[in-house]
Amino acid sequence: MKRTGNRNSDQDALQQNGTSDGSGGHEADADAWHVDSQSVSHRKLLRARYRELISTVQQNREEMLSPCDNKLTEVLDKANMLFKEVHEARETVLDSQLLVVASGLGKEKANRMVSQGLSFDLSTFAQHALSFMGLNRLADEGSDAEDGAATNGFLPQDAWHRLASRAESCFQSTPSFHSMYGLFQSEPPPLKPRIERQRKVPTVEAKRIMPTELKKMEESNQEATEKEVERILGYLRQYHRQDPTTPISYYEFILNPDSFSRTVENIFHTSFLIRDGLARMYLDDDMLPCIGPVEEDGAQPAEATTRKQCVISINQKSWRELRDAFDITQPMIHPPNGPDE
Amino acid sequence: MELVQYFLIKDENKLPVRRADIVKNVLKEYKNVFQEIMKRTSHTFEKVYGFKVVEIDAKNHIYILINQLKPAEGAPERISNPNTGLLLVILSVVFMKGGVVREASVWNTLKMMQVDPRENHRVFGDVKKLVTDDFVRQRYLEYTKIPHTEPLEHEFRWGQRAEVEVSKLDMLEFLGQLHGKDPQHWSQQYKEATNQASPGSSQPGSSQPGSSQPGSSQPGSSQR
Repeated sequence: MKRTGNRNSDQDALQQNGTSDGSGGHEADADAWHVDSQSVSHRKLLRARYRELISTVQQNREEMLSPCDNKLTEVLDKANMLFKEVHEARETVLDSQLLVVASGLGKEKANRMVSQGLSFDLSTFAQHALSFMGLNRLADEGSDAEDGAATNGFLPQDAWHRLASRAESCFQSTPSFHSMYGLFQSEPPPLKPRIERQRKVPTVEAKRIMPTELKKMEESNQEATEKEVERILGYLRQYHRQDPTTPISYYEFILNPDSFSRTVENIFHTSFLIRDGLARMYLDDDMLPCIGPVEEDGAQPAEATTRKQCVISINQKSWRELRDAFDITQPMIHPPNGPDE
Repeated sequence: MELVQYFLIKDENKLPVRRADIVKNVLKEYKNVFQEIMKRTSHTFEKVYGFKVVEIDAKNHIYILINQLKPAEGAPERISNPNTGLLLVILSVVFMKGGVVREASVWNTLKMMQVDPRENHRVFGDVKKLVTDDFVRQRYLEYTKIPHTEPLEHEFRWGQRAEVEVSKLDMLEFLGQLHGKDPQHWSQQYKEATNQASPGSSQPGSSQPGSSQPGSSQPGSSQR
């Protein structure tokens, strides 16, 4: 009976191009068609129910984790019922999804259940640890802050160090090894520090020798310059005293007819005088530069705040020209007798 | 020997040493004699430094150094690293809660101690990085994702180094001291602590984080 019925329904299915809305169910086996059409919407319903269960587990996770909650069992019972009607792959997939989610939750519930029995309260622990670390609890300031952590007291600077010292006895860790010269990221780490250490020694020594030598040289240099400058100042004042009214021509002053290099040195030294405000340069009526000593205090310092700069250059040719033009036969600044630089 | 120095330098930051790195950076041509060299290195460490080379991961061949010696009585106080204190708090939380905790428990406990992972801490700086990155790389902690959680959450476990370096018994004693209780008060943990392979034994397999441990004496009620 059944077999012929099925064959008929297959033929009908072929005729109707496999549509499954069951409209043409005439001589076809009503049962076969009925199951078919039922399953489409029925399957949809099944899937919807599965999804509902899955979301129940996901959304109410926290609640369901509580040991007094039995929802998970209910969900699983429902799933079992649904599964009886599952014939197709799609629903099976959903069923497995639900199982995955539910078992994850179940595992966690189991874990939690175990922990409940271990009676360790975290806030009590925190409070005890804080006391150990030396918390100075604030006297009640009447503030019931929501965030108790921020206002529950004042920890001393070394609070965590105190805890750490006590903690260390629980650890079997090695003391930290700090290389004195630091680490290098590149290739064999053990080798580099060795090389560095060897190199460092000679350079340190070398540096020590240098400063003492340099100091000596510098002193001699400086002294010589200063002495020269002072000497020139002396000349300047001397000439000025001899004839206060006549301005001293700059070129006449610095020029040394016998030696170009001495001339240059004179320019160099007089520039110090001017810089330090001990001498001043100005142009006379003929627009020739003149130099004169600066009188003590008075208005001078105030004027000196506005800095003026002037660059003077000289070469051998101009030196000779100047010498001839000014007809200088004798240097106004006598060459020093000091040691040759 | 070079390998000794290599280990010491890596140990400065408490980073674990991989066999692959050793072969590449130190041994090079000598990689065939790895075992022998390792043996000699361990020997040097034990005799000269009082350290022990422990393989904390047998599959990937990862090694760390631990200290065999306890500080001598009356030894001058060393400046302690505050990170140790922080680590102890976290390891305690994890241990006392069965070996695995959701990260929220750790963060909440720390907040109660004025350490907030969202803020820069006076002593620890970037707490979140220290706990979830540095401690994990040093193998003190494990920080793993929990699947199917929205938003994504993680859980903490003891890391491979902690299993070997930290004595659960000592920790329980400390906790007992803090709470004014006998360590045996927490019977479950006490049992586990006494079962712990003595720190320093190179048996990576034995030291499984305690999550599945308390199977021995399960309270009878089962709701599932």
